[in-house]
Amino acid sequence: MRNAWQTLFAWLDERLGLHSLYQNLLDRPEPRGNWWNTLGSASLFLFLLQVATGIFLTVYYNPSPDHAYDSIQYIMNEVAFGWLIRGIHHWGASLMVLVVFIHMLRTFVTASYKYPRELTWLVGVGLLLLTLGMGFTGYLLPWHQMAYWATTVGTQIAGSVPFVGEFILKALRGGPDLSALTLQRFFAAHIWILPALMFALIGLHLYLVIKHGESHFPDKDD
Amino acid sequence: MSGPNRMTRRDFIKITTGAIGGVIAAGIGLPAIGYLLAPALRQDKAGKPVIVAKLAEIPVGKPYPFSFTVTRVNGWERTANVFGGFVIRLSEDPQDVRILSSRCTHLSCRVNWSDEAQGFICPCHDALFDRDGKVVSGPPPEALGHFDYEIDDQGNVVILPVERKTE
Amino acid sequence: MNPETRQKIHEKYERELQRGERFWPDSIFKDAIMALAIFILLILLATFAGVHDSPKADPSDTSYVPRPEWYFLFLFKFLALYAQIPVLGKIEWIATALIPGLALGVLTVLPFVDKSPRRYYAKRALPLGIMGILVWGMLWLTILAEYPTVASDGSRVPGILQAIAGILLPLLAYTAFAVIAYTLKERAPRAILFTGLGAGALMAGFSLLSMALYPPSHKETVEHPTGLVDQIVAGQDLYSIHCLECHGEDGSITVIQGVPGLEGKVISPINSRDVLYTVNDASMAQIIAYGRPDSGMPPFGKAYNPEGLTRAEIDYIIAFMRYSWDDRYEKPEIKPLYPPLGAYEVPSYEVHIAPIVKRYCLSCHRPGKDSNDYFMDTYENILHSGDNGDRNVLAGDETSFLLQVIQGQPILNPDGSEEIGVMPPSGTLKPEVIEVFHRWVLMGMPRTAEEAARLTWPAP
Repeated sequence: MRNAWQTLFAWLDERLGLHSLYQNLLDRPEPRGNWWNTLGSASLFLFLLQVATGIFLTVYYNPSPDHAYDSIQYIMNEVAFGWLIRGIHHWGASLMVLVVFIHMLRTFVTASYKYPRELTWLVGVGLLLLTLGMGFTGYLLPWHQMAYWATTVGTQIAGSVPFVGEFILKALRGGPDLSALTLQRFFAAHIWILPALMFALIGLHLYLVIKHGESHFPDKDD
Repeated sequence: MSGPNRMTRRDFIKITTGAIGGVIAAGIGLPAIGYLLAPALRQDKAGKPVIVAKLAEIPVGKPYPFSFTVTRVNGWERTANVFGGFVIRLSEDPQDVRILSSRCTHLSCRVNWSDEAQGFICPCHDALFDRDGKVVSGPPPEALGHFDYEIDDQGNVVILPVERKTE
Repeated sequence: MNPETRQKIHEKYERELQRGERFWPDSIFKDAIMALAIFILLILLATFAGVHDSPKADPSDTSYVPRPEWYFLFLFKFLALYAQIPVLGKIEWIATALIPGLALGVLTVLPFVDKSPRRYYAKRALPLGIMGILVWGMLWLTILAEYPTVASDGSRVPGILQAIAGILLPLLAYTAFAVIAYTLKERAPRAILFTGLGAGALMAGFSLLSMALYPPSHKETVEHPTGLVDQIVAGQDLYSIHCLECHGEDGSITVIQGVPGLEGKVISPINSRDVLYTVNDASMAQIIAYGRPDSGMPPFGKAYNPEGLTRAEIDYIIAFMRYSWDDRYEKPEIKPLYPPLGAYEVPSYEVHIAPIVKRYCLSCHRPGKDSNDYFMDTYENILHSGDNGDRNVLAGDETSFLLQVIQGQPILNPDGSEEIGVMPPSGTLKPEVIEVFHRWVLMGMPRTAEEAARLTWPAP
């Protein structure tokens, strides 16, 4: 007897290919893994958590020198659970850098970057850079003293590159000085440009992981 | 080995995984609801009483216009909104006073007193209210609002800056 | 890589899959537990560690010493150490662009450089050794970022020790690795392991030596007021120190008295609607920061004086003024300046005297004021500073000058002229504040709350 659910599922499956999705994405065989293998998905989890809390923060945050600090204080002191959302976003950023880094180290130690997973590694390096970029752009947004002056120094360092230094400095700051323009472009980079790139690279990374399967832990024969 | 009613290890793992997913989703989702709706749940404070005029300076019969600002805290900013109204002395009796809001009940334009029409005219859609604030003609659905007031020891007209409906 | 090797890799992987697990639910179960652990950790961090913001950005405050996020600290320290290297240290871009760029480049092309199919640890001593030293170095540089590169006495020894640990030893280790790998071939892994361990131990040793010999310079950690109430209180204290002399406790003064240079100046009261309604916060901040030369108000901001008020501090003063005098603002409940004294309680410097002095005395009695030399900024100064340092505050002595002048008794010279006038010069302290001073001096000026708790004020 086919009940209503089975009928519905069959109908959807015929059109969406749910069953083959399930087989290809979820019901895959994998080498026996251990807790070190969870770091990649932990990075993904942290990324999604940052996306969710980040979206919530933009509901109140205002990226202008006049209002940025006050709006953050408002989130922290006035909005229900604002301290929690910002706290998770703040600490999640630190933890994400840490987890991504350890994930990369694990890949290095088990030599999982070797044939046939070279491109997975390449994309992973891109993701590490984007994560650090997110940390750098996000650090300025609360517009407090530490953020302002650390970013002044940080962009100055980028400006020390020979020949193109001044160009890079102005491109980062949106002018010679740290100003409203800097805050605006860091905000745009932090919530639009870098996350869009990250989504794209994460998609590619996951596709490659599924395509080649997770690497096994090497033994004496490898 | 396991009977049809016994949970297998696999099922246990599946259910636990689902439960963990649910806990995390709730852990971020429930606070998020409170977070997003916080401004709607905030209790707005009633404004402090405002002195709008000295009773002695108001002629009997002719509506006396006044305006006052109410500062509201919106997020981290204070917005000063200007409200206005008319004090109308109906007779020499200091208690025989009516205080109408100048906000038209149609689309919140400001009404003006017109000596010719002997009523309040709203410039937006030519509505006309009579001296008591009742609608004479035009689109407004109800009479002008009024303010609660009291006359203090110095003869000041003190109003509570909350517009009330006139029945 | 030849086709046979690839074939072997794939066959091996197939065998691993045979004795492996399923992605769903086996792997995802572990991922879910990891995610839950991370989520709980984040909630705990958000709840108990919180987020501590420094005050609002102030572009005029160039004295602010910034620090990057912790994960950039190793670079920060590396740059500081690199700059200590003679000659080469002057070429900044080598450290800021070239070296990080090279490191990133190597990381990126890693799979195309290290093309051998070997994956087992023991067969990969060289890459593991290189990465191990790199990560170990980053770790120590991150820790060392808290410690001074140049000692407080100007000695460069800490920088040299740290540069040995963070730059020289890794370079030596890498050179040794290269030599070992090239010469020993078969027996290289063991030699690399021992070289790496030795270098790592030396790196830790030099770092720890520098940390032990040159501890971090003591930094005062200032809690920044974040909530509105804290900001108003901070503003009131700042107002009392910087503004009260001329404008009075409630901002109502119209003729300045007793202030050198501004004596008799006529000013407008700053607690009036005229001022509060017509001057918005931004203009008020400008006036405080840059002064009003035409009406005698000096500038208080950092633009003219590095010791001046920061933008955040000016904002606190404005918050205090608004919430105290502007009738459009509703003042929140504010904790009293000091906890009220019980009938037999003895006050302490920490809990009672310090906040009172900060509010009522420090505006004149602090270093940098030339009208007097009695400073009340620290416990020691209250007891000993100034011309009458031996008479101002005497344990158990009713005739302590401090007690006399706050109770309306000027100290007179032998010729009858006033040596010290009554304090404060305008107005008098509230009786309960005088009582705090009175008990404190008579009971021997306890410093801490514990010392005070051991004493009992005799029954009245």
